[in-house]
Amino acid sequence: MTSLSFLAAADASGLWETLGQYTLIGLTNGMLFALIALGYTMVYGIIELINFAHGDVFMLGSFLALAMINVMTGRDWDWSDPQMLWLGIGLLLLVVPLFCAALNVTIDRVVYKPLRRAPKLAPLVSAIGVSFVLMNVGLLWGGAADRHFPDLISRQNLLGDDAAIGFTAKDLMVVAITVPIMAALTVFVKATRLGKAMRATAQDPVAAQLMGINIDRVIALTFALGGALAGAAAVVYGLYINTVSYQMGFQNGLYAFTAAVLGGIGNIPGAVLGGLVIGLARAFGSGYVGERWTSALVFVILIAILVFRPAGLLGARTREKV
Amino acid sequence: MSNTTAPKRFPMAWFYLALLVAYPLLVYPENALFRLTEISIGMQLTYIFIYAILALGLNVVVGYTGLLHLGIAAFFGIGAYITGILTVPAYPFQVGFIAALVLSTAGAALLGVLLGAPTLRLRGDYLAIVTLGFGEVTRFTLRNLEEITAGTRGLNPVPPPQLPGVLATPLSWLGIQPDWSLDYRLFYYLALGLLVLVVVLLTNLERSRLGRAWVAIREDELAATCMGINAARVKLSAFALGCGLAGMAGCLYATTLTSTAGPDAFDFNRSIIMLCCIILGGLGSLRGTLLGVVLLIGFDNVAAPVLDGLIQGANINPNGNPLLTFSNWKLLIFGVALIVMMRFRPEGLLPSRVVEEELVGYAPQPRGKLLRAR
Amino acid sequence: MSRFLPPILLLSLLAITTFAGWKDAGDGHPQLIKIVSSLPRTGSAKAQTDTIVNGIKIAMGEADYKAGGFGIVYADWDDATAGAGQWTAEAETANANRAVRDPDVMVYIGTYNSGAAKISMPILNKADLLMVSPANTWPGLTKPDKGDPGEPAIYRPTGRVNYVRVVPTDDLQGPLGARWAQEMGVKRVYVLDDNEVYGKGIATLFIEACQDLGIEVLGHESIDSKAQEFKPLMATIKGDKPDLVYFGGTTQSKGGQIAKDMIAAGLDCKLMVPDACYEEAFIQSAGADNLNDRCYVTFGGLPPDKLVGPGKAFVDKYTERFGGMPEVYAIYGYEAAKVALEAIQLAGVKNRNAIREACLAIKDFNQGALGTWSFDANGDTTLTTISGSIIRDGKFQFVKVLGH
Repeated sequence: MTSLSFLAAADASGLWETLGQYTLIGLTNGMLFALIALGYTMVYGIIELINFAHGDVFMLGSFLALAMINVMTGRDWDWSDPQMLWLGIGLLLLVVPLFCAALNVTIDRVVYKPLRRAPKLAPLVSAIGVSFVLMNVGLLWGGAADRHFPDLISRQNLLGDDAAIGFTAKDLMVVAITVPIMAALTVFVKATRLGKAMRATAQDPVAAQLMGINIDRVIALTFALGGALAGAAAVVYGLYINTVSYQMGFQNGLYAFTAAVLGGIGNIPGAVLGGLVIGLARAFGSGYVGERWTSALVFVILIAILVFRPAGLLGARTREKV
Repeated sequence: MSNTTAPKRFPMAWFYLALLVAYPLLVYPENALFRLTEISIGMQLTYIFIYAILALGLNVVVGYTGLLHLGIAAFFGIGAYITGILTVPAYPFQVGFIAALVLSTAGAALLGVLLGAPTLRLRGDYLAIVTLGFGEVTRFTLRNLEEITAGTRGLNPVPPPQLPGVLATPLSWLGIQPDWSLDYRLFYYLALGLLVLVVVLLTNLERSRLGRAWVAIREDELAATCMGINAARVKLSAFALGCGLAGMAGCLYATTLTSTAGPDAFDFNRSIIMLCCIILGGLGSLRGTLLGVVLLIGFDNVAAPVLDGLIQGANINPNGNPLLTFSNWKLLIFGVALIVMMRFRPEGLLPSRVVEEELVGYAPQPRGKLLRAR
Repeated sequence: MSRFLPPILLLSLLAITTFAGWKDAGDGHPQLIKIVSSLPRTGSAKAQTDTIVNGIKIAMGEADYKAGGFGIVYADWDDATAGAGQWTAEAETANANRAVRDPDVMVYIGTYNSGAAKISMPILNKADLLMVSPANTWPGLTKPDKGDPGEPAIYRPTGRVNYVRVVPTDDLQGPLGARWAQEMGVKRVYVLDDNEVYGKGIATLFIEACQDLGIEVLGHESIDSKAQEFKPLMATIKGDKPDLVYFGGTTQSKGGQIAKDMIAAGLDCKLMVPDACYEEAFIQSAGADNLNDRCYVTFGGLPPDKLVGPGKAFVDKYTERFGGMPEVYAIYGYEAAKVALEAIQLAGVKNRNAIREACLAIKDFNQGALGTWSFDANGDTTLTTISGSIIRDGKFQFVKVLGH
């Protein structure tokens, strides 16, 4: 009897450790989904467009990051030196978001802007078209096969080599980059004049216009911000997952879209929460249900949550205006 | 409603139908086009008819009722797999085509209702993501339940329908061989016949009490409810009919191809393309939906291989430069076509008259909210 | 008047084509034979099919686009569509019918997916058109009792065999891989597959062999090849402490990511993968460091650098033209095209049935890059050489021949 209870205890401690490990992995992946989801949710909040091309902007960003790393390595950039490493990542985090922001704004100006007054679903088809175009650009740029993204950050376990739970510098990097970005975004939207203009436009564009807000500029700003977030996510994704391919925008976009809706679409903290829920659902699904059911599980959870909270986790239940 | 203009348009539909009925019987155009393009246009038309049924089903949900549905491919797949399970030799059922068609339609409609009942109170894009999620769950389920669905291999062979004996003589007069796999024209007429039935059904429904209720819900759910329309029941009926038609198309698809293909044939991409077809054609418009299917499916199945063949035949690429192969540019061309068409016809190529009048009758709104419940 | 324009156009098109179609189709060009391939050229499998087509084109070029006194034309058909991003059943059906109706087409190289072969096989069979697959591994396509009930008779409505494949089915690699693992002293394995026909088949056979050999199978999971990472799965596997992880799958179904995430999770045991990962793209997608000295690959046939004669010539030509060792699918594509040309050569007439019979009669074929082999009565290759390699310094290094 005693031996049996001893076994159970040993098992239990193992259980807690794996639970902790799954939670860590889930939260880290969730942060990534959240970062992509933010771009979705902001664009949706302003012009009610499900921007299917968002994931592909993210994909092109990761190709740019890969190309930059290759060029920098070719010019003898010493990634093993911690200072140069962080400087290099800083450079990536500056250039790639700028590129993605510019790309996103261009897409908006050329493709979506002429359709502002069109029926609601017309820009959706254009967005799908843009997604196809960007995917093809990615194919021509990076080729059809999966590409390895250099493993620049150490995999050393920060909790010690023998710790039962792995938390590496790489995991820390994800948190260290995504959390400040999210915080900065929240401050921007809540506290600055432009942020206020964005919120006003999201609430009622006509009234906002009457108050002297230049809606076109606000929309362009939203696309720029969304693109920049996708760019930052692309860099973090590359460094963390280490594989990029021209088709990755689609699947990540799907999860990000799901995260945005799950949290209450148009709601910034909601998108973050939605991303974390999806990350955790994937990790626990893989650990406790079975890897092959993981992706289905994410959507089952989504449907279940929406049945009980029809406006998402943090979405406000607005009364219909008459 | 401008019902008065309807009779004027009527003969045109008859003309197109007559053309479609006559085309395979004339034989020569098909042969000439095949020599020119190396594509059997008759056979591609068969697939277009099948996709048209699928798109018309989606149009009931999205076009008439205004519920954004991103998972129609799942119901298409459910129809195909119900047919597969009921007919392939590996299972003991082996029912006939008609029974499979009815059960696939009913099964898909039932699942549509089961999904719809708890979720139809969701608004706009929340419903969209639930249907998307259901589509993905269905795909993974088909994939993972290997004992039932044979996984990614797909169920096969789905046998062709039994030809009624009375048809033997008329078929031989028309020069059609009574073998489904040798003569494409049997499936062609089967699919065309079902499509015509569906179109007739929908044309009548459009003008019925239920059809007007769908449109009322799309235009203003609150006002419609105030007028005594049971919104939940009306939406559920649209879901049932739309998903049922998708299941019917799935049954035809599996029968024509003699296999259920694999679960990945019914993925999110398929749903998105069908949605593009109906938006491009004109939401809520029967003619528009049919045109959208002809253009998009036609591009993928006819125009793309023809262009590819021309480029390879012209031999401009002796060194195998990957930049000069068509397959490297296919997605781009498809995407640009979508963008350009929406840019110049945002309301669709053949918008329904109700939407058209709305666009003319109201001042443009600052945000594209026309098709949402206001 | 604009609404009358389309009907008028359509009617005139109909009239013109009716007159144009009046004259008989004829038998095509007497001195020309067309070989076509039907592979998914758009979407997720594009990387692999690019290499297959490269292999086919080299074979055609070597023969100077001639065989048996006929000029050869090669056409690269796509059975995937932009909208679907993968093979579609209707595109495959259309390709098969297109080949049947074109009197010049004598050989059909394809398909890539076993599911697609199931659809085109019966169509081509009725026309006695020879079909050579460079990639299908589902045993049921050719072998009685190894697949689903009724296979393969349902693919042969005429009762004659018209389908051959140059790629060995899964029933060799899995068991020999298991035996190799045992020789390495492996006691505990964890088996993964990509939930596709190929990967799942090979993983299942690997497990059966392990159980016979007394290797403990700790678990078996199917991954979703569209998922981006597998860290939670690797954390689970790490807890089981296996000596070796077997992945039944391909480069494109995330073989590289599996290798990477194992390392990321601190799981540094051995990894074994089948022939679909025997290509540089696999090392590139995984990162050479992540595989070094721990990744074992089984492969049907001899590795490219051990080939002699015609095989070596092919390897040299491929390396010169495409800058790298040929990928495994390039080799199979090359072999398939070589077989097609040989069949035309042997038949010597432009007749589908003669070419089909000539192909099935091929014995001791040694013109390709896989060594010497024959077709058996089912149309399967008799090739039983399986070689084992290890990945070292970013290259495949041949270790040993695993069995005959």
